[in-house]
This record gives sequence, C-alpha cells and structure tokens, in this order.
Amino acid sequence: MKRIIIIALFLGSVLPALAQEKPKLYTIASPFERYTHYLATARFMGAVPMGSFKDNYIDKTSFQNFSLSIEWVLRNSPLSVGGEIGSTYFEKRVPRALYEGSEGTISAVQTRTVSQYPVEVFSNYHFLPRNSQVQPYVQISGGASILDYTVYYGTLSSQDQKVRFKYGIGAGSKFLFKKDGTLGLDVRVKYDGTAYKYDYIDKGISSVNGSIGLFYRWW
Amino acid sequence: MFKKASFLLLIIGLGLISCSKDPISDLSNEESLVYITNHDKSANFTQYKTFSIVDSVLIVENTRAGTSLDDIDRAMLQRLITNMESMGYRHVGRKENPDVGINVSWITNTYLNVYQPLSSYYGGYWGGYGYGYPNYYSYYETSESSWVISMLDFKNPQTTPSGKTFNAVWEAQIRGAAIGDQKLVDKMADSIFGQSGYLKIK
Repeated sequence: MKRIIIIALFLGSVLPALAQEKPKLYTIASPFERYTHYLATARFMGAVPMGSFKDNYIDKTSFQNFSLSIEWVLRNSPLSVGGEIGSTYFEKRVPRALYEGSEGTISAVQTRTVSQYPVEVFSNYHFLPRNSQVQPYVQISGGASILDYTVYYGTLSSQDQKVRFKYGIGAGSKFLFKKDGTLGLDVRVKYDGTAYKYDYIDKGISSVNGSIGLFYRWW
Repeated sequence: MFKKASFLLLIIGLGLISCSKDPISDLSNEESLVYITNHDKSANFTQYKTFSIVDSVLIVENTRAGTSLDDIDRAMLQRLITNMESMGYRHVGRKENPDVGINVSWITNTYLNVYQPLSSYYGGYWGGYGYGYPNYYSYYETSESSWVISMLDFKNPQTTPSGKTFNAVWEAQIRGAAIGDQKLVDKMADSIFGQSGYLKIK
C-alpha cells in the first residue's frame, strides 16, 4: 500500500511537468512571425585565397577576418536585406629572394599583405519559415572594399590604397539556440571577389570564406 | 532599440578599422636588409684587372658631406676588398692607375612630412587666412640611411668641357633598419657581390 502511494506521488509530480512541456497558452504566432524584425550578426571568418590571387600573390589561409551585419527580416517574405561591414587581412612572408626590377636586382625578404574593409549590402533568401529553429539561406552581396595593398621589401614598403567594387555569393544557415528565442548561431560559406589590379594582382582578389557567427534578433 | 544597436555597430566598426597591423615587426635585423644592385649592361667587366678603394666612408646627410672611418666603416671597406679580390680583381693603391675605383658612402635623407588629419577644401581662396598651414597640421620627420657602394670606370674616362668624369659601371645600395649593425657588415658586403655574378673575372 505504501509503495502504491509513493508511485502515485511520483507520478503526480512528474506527469503535470511532462504535460507542461508544450503549453498552449495562446495561439497567436510569435512576433518574429508577425513583424518585420531586426537581426544583428557578428562573424569570425577563415578565408582561403583563390584563383590568380592565390597563384601570384598570397596562398596562405587567413584567420584575421571579422564582420558585423545587421538585417531586416521582412514580413510575409522569405527575404531579408541588410548591410555588412568587415575587416579582412591576408599576409604572406616570402624568404629572401632576388627580384629584377627597373631599379636593378633587389634582394629582400618580402612580406605581402592585403587588408580590406568591405562595406556591403546584401539580401538573403530563406528556405524555411522565419521562425523555424534551423534557417538555411543563400546570400548575394555587393558593395565597396576600402583596400590597402602593401608589399614590404625588408622594412621598406610599396603601398597602394584604393576603394574598389566587391561582391559575394554565399550559402549558410542560422540555428536558433531555442525555439522562438532571440540568440543563435550563424554558419556561412561565401565567395568574395574584389575588382582590383595592381602590381602582383592581375585578376582581382578572390577568396572563399567560412564563417561562424553569433546573432541576436529583436523586433 | 534599433538606434542603439546601429550606433553600437558603428563604434565596433570604427574599432575594427582603426586597429592597425604591423606585419614586419617580427623581422630579424638580417631579414630587414634590402640589397639593390644595378650595373651598366654594356660594360665588359673582363677588361678590368685592378681596383682601388676609398680610404674612408663618405657621409652624405642631405646637403652636408664629410668622411668617417669608424669601426663599422673600416669593417665594410675591408670586406669589400676581400670580395673584390675573390671576384678576381687585384687591389692596388690610388696612384697605381687602377682600372676601377670603389666608392663607399653612407647617405641619409631626412624628409619633413606634413600630416593633415582631415582634408579640407579652401576653394583656392586663401585671403583673410594668411599664408601657411593652419595650426591643426602636425609635422613629423623621417629619415632613412643607406650604404651606397659604386664602382667607377677609371679605365674609360669621359671627357666633358668641365673635365674628366667616370661612369659608374656597378652600384649597390644596402637599405633597411639594421644597416648600422656591425655584426652584419660581412653579410652585407658578401650579399651585394653574391647577387652580382657578372662582376666575376676569374
């Protein structure tokens, strides 16, 4: 008899808790479904040089890349639009070598660098409803890159600073930490290209960036 | 809320942009050196057999000039002689009609730079403001020194109305942050000859 009471008490304490897991307190959709809301993402990126930029100038993967974006997730649409600013940096050290130039033969340890501060607008197309916990998307972006090309010969430098057109296409996914929550993880793979031609760079700066980011959304 | 967030974004963005990189801070003294050599492509070095070298280093600082014979200068001259000899030239005195002469100088250029934090548009009209720079400009001075070693062709002097001149058939510049490092003098002298194989006559 005692045992039955204990089991009954146990069930009495557990069952209501199980039942409460999915409360149906209201039937109105989440505000994130109903309104255009904002979403800010901070990303850390690893970038792999591509194409002739890789062949002729820098082939070293860079982990000194960051970006911040803010977007408007539109109501009644799978689209979001926003802006992204960032900082990317490529560097490569070339051991002492001889370079033939108009000045003569130069022997130096070369340090090749490119820093870019991209300022872009972008649009995302989401494949799943805006409040699902996993939200895969594809992205297209375009804007300007404030860039600095510096090649160091020893401690001497040769520099070129320009603002150039840049674009990108990417695919990624957002993962909400909890359903209907405000915080989440963003994973994205993106191809970035910058139209630039100078010195070693003959066909632009191109790279594939893998990023991991944190986002916060609010309305 | 949105205003606040975009303001924050702006601050972080500016922070990202203002963090500057110093990619060459890890270069060693030796790695910082840059050797630049050039030569007269039409010169035939096998016609030269003997050389002489200056007895001290010419110091040129902007428009002033003088000579110096410190330990580092002595070491440089000595190592240049060693290298010329191993290239096949015979070291002779200045009076013994050398075919080529080696000049060694230490040249320092000082530049005055005007730093203007923000560009402003004056529309070409300066009246009322007087002439000169506004007081929010700041100035900074940079200077760079280099070794310049040249080989003059004494064998084939050029005669000009103002007298005889000699062509430089070979010139080497040594630049970089560590050119005053005495431990690297031998390395510097060896390097400029090492990358100029056409000087070899034996």
